[in-house]
Amino acid sequence: MIRKYVVASITLLAILVAGCASQGNNHLQEGKTRPQPAELVLAIGGEPAEGFDPTTGWGRYGSPLFQSTLFKRDSQLNIIGDAAVSYTISDDGLSWQVELREDIEFSDETPLTAEDVVFTFETAQRNASVVDLTNVRSITALSTYQVQFELEKAQSSFIDLLTTIGIVPKHAYSDRYAQQPIGSGPYKLVQWEKGQQLIVEQNERYYGPQSSFKRLVFLFLDEDASLAAAKAGKVHIVAVPSTFSKQNINGMKLKAVQSVDNRGIMFPYQPEGNSTAEGYPIGNAVTSELAIRQAMNIAIDRELLVEGVLEGYGTPAYSVNDQLPWWNEASVVQDADPDAAMKLLADGGWYDSDGDGILEKNGVKAQFTLLYPAGDSIRQSLAIAVADMIKPIGISIQAEGKSWDEIGRLMYSQPVMLGWGSLDPLEMYHVYSSSYAGVGYFNPGYYSNDTVDQYMKAALEAVDMEQAHELWKKAQWDGTTGLSTKGDAPWAWLVNIDHLYYTYEQLDIGEQPIHPHGHGWPITSNIDQWKWVE
Amino acid sequence: MKRSYLLTIISASVLLVVPLLLAALLSSKGLLSQLDARNLSPSWNHLFGTDWLGRDMLTRTMKGLALSIGVGTAASISSAIIACILGLIAATLGKTADRIITWLIDCFLSVPHLVLLILIAFAAGGGMKGVILALALTHWPSLARLLRAEILAMKVAPYVIISKQLGKSSWWIATRHMLPHLLPQFIVGALLMFPHAILHEAALTFLGMGLSPHQPAIGIILSESMKYISAGMWWLAVFPGLCLFIVVRAFDMLARSLYSIIDPSRARQ
Repeated sequence: MIRKYVVASITLLAILVAGCASQGNNHLQEGKTRPQPAELVLAIGGEPAEGFDPTTGWGRYGSPLFQSTLFKRDSQLNIIGDAAVSYTISDDGLSWQVELREDIEFSDETPLTAEDVVFTFETAQRNASVVDLTNVRSITALSTYQVQFELEKAQSSFIDLLTTIGIVPKHAYSDRYAQQPIGSGPYKLVQWEKGQQLIVEQNERYYGPQSSFKRLVFLFLDEDASLAAAKAGKVHIVAVPSTFSKQNINGMKLKAVQSVDNRGIMFPYQPEGNSTAEGYPIGNAVTSELAIRQAMNIAIDRELLVEGVLEGYGTPAYSVNDQLPWWNEASVVQDADPDAAMKLLADGGWYDSDGDGILEKNGVKAQFTLLYPAGDSIRQSLAIAVADMIKPIGISIQAEGKSWDEIGRLMYSQPVMLGWGSLDPLEMYHVYSSSYAGVGYFNPGYYSNDTVDQYMKAALEAVDMEQAHELWKKAQWDGTTGLSTKGDAPWAWLVNIDHLYYTYEQLDIGEQPIHPHGHGWPITSNIDQWKWVE
Repeated sequence: MKRSYLLTIISASVLLVVPLLLAALLSSKGLLSQLDARNLSPSWNHLFGTDWLGRDMLTRTMKGLALSIGVGTAASISSAIIACILGLIAATLGKTADRIITWLIDCFLSVPHLVLLILIAFAAGGGMKGVILALALTHWPSLARLLRAEILAMKVAPYVIISKQLGKSSWWIATRHMLPHLLPQFIVGALLMFPHAILHEAALTFLGMGLSPHQPAIGIILSESMKYISAGMWWLAVFPGLCLFIVVRAFDMLARSLYSIIDPSRARQ
């Protein structure tokens, strides 16, 4: 009897070991013999649940692929024309006039005119989605190829909106548009099998330089299924989390692209007691304490997180907008300093009176649950690593994976591992402004500081870009208050994540700009430069 | 023959005590992440290797197994008690009670076990509490049916009828005739529930059920390891999996050997 089990266990082990050993092999031939097809298969994730309608948020981080934007950014982040050639701003900053190109057609052969631009922006305004156009008073078509935007207040960052909203055709827009988009971008949609794949084909009527790839197939796979597909030679380019960065895939190379795609802990800022209109509780007794938020910011060793969780593919994050022109370097704090953190906590009135290793103040224990979207391995690892880093200073964190639905209900009262990252300073306004408290995923912690609000409002209304940047910097830290760690510390930013891709060795994906947050396939923003090389 | 059974019982018990002892002895420091010691393959310092956060897999596995054994014990005992009570009621309290309980047993047995577990775990609000409750409330039907059948059969057994005719009290019959027959069934039935309960605990925690990722439950360890197997970190799954297998087998062998020893019908072997 026992012998039978021994034999069975040995067989099982043998199978397992054989399975592990065969991993190094894959079905790819050596690079040189690999075909260079006109069809490119990508597994880069990021399937938009809402579909491909720019008026409800598709492509809000740029490069909507199916649609043209009025302007776009080159790899140096300079603004260049796309569907528009130029713009002029009136002296008071309230009136923006945009000249369109006259040779653009949608993929259904109708020309793109000022009417379509007006329709797009008016629809986006009506939809009141994540695309924020509340400051736009009116949009008028001055002629067939001239559009005028009248603003309520001057808005220095308005140009960024013009780089992210894709133009939809007025004549072909319907409820089904998000599923069957028609646009004037470099590609048109052929087939979308939700949760599985998206097939797109080159738009022959595209006015820009044509890409060398006739067809793109986007596969929507899990992290490890993507890797397996890459190893099997089924995909040409695959996005991987840093956990997989040490892999050796025959015939593929690792490409790390710098990004402002950041991860950090959003703290509910208000004390307990209130609730949202839907009845979800707002506020948290522990994280509403400044000492707790600042101490965590100081105690966390961000370099170690980059090294340990991101395998070195990333940078420490101190704000939502590190390294961007409106970043205030003076707001950076010295981190990885648990002693200073403990002193801060003691000064804030937190003591461990019952000797259980967790601090208390007025009967409230310094413990809370940190939520992260289940299934996101990097956010999970960050959450666990931070919890373990913070434990020695007397704050007890339980990390817990939840679905986005559940997070949407709990995020007003429990800290969440969230991520942002945009090339537009408007994002700072969204994340920190009290007028965005509880609006979607913007400012779920109900952070509010009048001084910060005023700086940000002034920055938005500034006509001059330099002046605007100065005000954005002051909103972060003006020497006495601010939204950064030195001030109110409503967030503990942790890391900026490099976007990692394995690509075929012969595939050149051009010079990539700094990537924004993952949604919307930032890597495809320069698809016209992609090509096979020897 | 009896000696070989005893030997099996002793070795199986040792196998079960080892993880409990190790779990108690190993410092819970190994559960904390240590980012500078991550992804280490098995070595003398880390017998089972470390995971992607530098947590010691030996500590996690042993604490996970101890938790599984604990949960399994709690679930088996409560399930056995439920089975015993329901079996007794069904067999002794008349036809209506019998019908209701038989119907209840059929109900529980007709729903796939895992579905029922998930339903109860969710209804109880998830977390460890939900898992334990689900395990405790779903493992009784087979044993209850067995006990009911045994009691029914014994009620019409010649020696019980004769005892009754000789004027023995019900209590006397129950304690002298029925109990010695039922006890082995009951003990073995309860013991055989262990491996089931442990495997189901692993299955439930594998699915998540709102458990914290800090919790070193064997199912969580296995489900997390799935992500890293494709990165070549085989030790994350192999050792915990093997340990789970050994513990479940040990319980199974223990129960079967015990049955062979205390089963009255085989007492003279």
